[in-house]
Amino acid sequence: MIPQNFEYEAPRTLEEALQLLADGSAKPLAGGMSLIPLMKLRLAAPERVVDLGRIPGLSYVREEDGVIRIGAMTTHYEIESSPVLKARCPLLAATAAQIGDMQVRNVGTIGGSLAHADPAADYPAALLALEAQVRLARAGGERTVAIADFFTDVFTTALEPGEILREVIVPAEAPGTGVSYQKVAHPASGFAVVGIAVRLRRSQGKITLARLGVTGLAAKPFRALAAERLLEGSSATEADVRAAAGAVADGVEANSDLYASAEYRTHLARVYAARALRAALQAA
Amino acid sequence: MRISGAYTLPADPERAYTLLQDPEALAASMPGCRELVRTAEDEYEMKMNLVISSIQGLFAGKIRVADKEFPARFRLIVEGDGKIGFMKGEGVLTLSPVDGATEVRYDGEVQVGGMIAGVGQRLLDATAKYLIKRFFEKMREWACHE
Repeated sequence: MIPQNFEYEAPRTLEEALQLLADGSAKPLAGGMSLIPLMKLRLAAPERVVDLGRIPGLSYVREEDGVIRIGAMTTHYEIESSPVLKARCPLLAATAAQIGDMQVRNVGTIGGSLAHADPAADYPAALLALEAQVRLARAGGERTVAIADFFTDVFTTALEPGEILREVIVPAEAPGTGVSYQKVAHPASGFAVVGIAVRLRRSQGKITLARLGVTGLAAKPFRALAAERLLEGSSATEADVRAAAGAVADGVEANSDLYASAEYRTHLARVYAARALRAALQAA
Repeated sequence: MRISGAYTLPADPERAYTLLQDPEALAASMPGCRELVRTAEDEYEMKMNLVISSIQGLFAGKIRVADKEFPARFRLIVEGDGKIGFMKGEGVLTLSPVDGATEVRYDGEVQVGGMIAGVGQRLLDATAKYLIKRFFEKMREWACHE
């Protein structure tokens, strides 16, 4: 279908884009993998679209001062294939490699995906496990927000009208960190029915750091804190793994749809948490 | 799709019951409500502009209240229709006093159809819960301030 008429702006600088977006009435366009289909179906009908695709300098992956900075317009493919991320933050690269299909990964961007905040998107699980931060910019200022505070509800983020996500900051991992992202992909959309990202560090046989990010299960992605607590300080035996995986959905109201009931989703979350933990332990 | 859950309102059941049927409180609490008019005893017409992320749709709907048992329960029948889809729902709200406040329990069946259901099936459940949460949060504010 053809979208409703809209005004199209293609600014060449970030400042110009932020001015155009300042009053909150225009919609920013990144890779367009969510917004364009919604507009074609006329589920979205913004009067004005500000295309961020012609602004130079928003697509990069660079390591500095122990962190890796990723520009908002970096595509999923650039993230999955980035030598810096593969070496220093393999969890994010591995997660990007499992998003949608190749066409989507070639065009879709990390900033667009996060700002859209689909509750079944893949990145949030990894970014929560990584305790990432996001830099949000608006005309005349910017702020940095912890990823856990960024997702506020289904399709809802900490972004204020007129604000855009401009950069994602993840830690450059110490060697010996074990990571894994395991998902059940929805057969039609490729979205995560459930996706679990795990990040573990071990010292002298004991788990010193455990982070579990969960996507797809609830209205917003979250960290499975009860599971993390069960793991930290443990020797990560098979029994510990099972106990932690069993706690991954504690206190969570699970989503339900025609494909997966809440009960089945919760079960999947436990099974895939155990798989992700075992895979991460192999590397830790 | 079956929906159920519970929220607490900071008011006694008598007041909570009245608030939940007060056109002004309803108009202020329904997400995206543009207009709510009483058309008959216990019947209302409503216009909504629902915005969830990039998705946006205008809906025109009818709300009917039935089986009233002041202040313990009533039945709510809602119908809405717009370019992007339609919805029909019916549910019972049960009010019970809890420590000076009122627990409002809802239990009902909602059908969503049209474009929005075809494309968004995966997200209907989470979105419905989100809209209900927003409704009760606003209602709670309203109950505190009035």
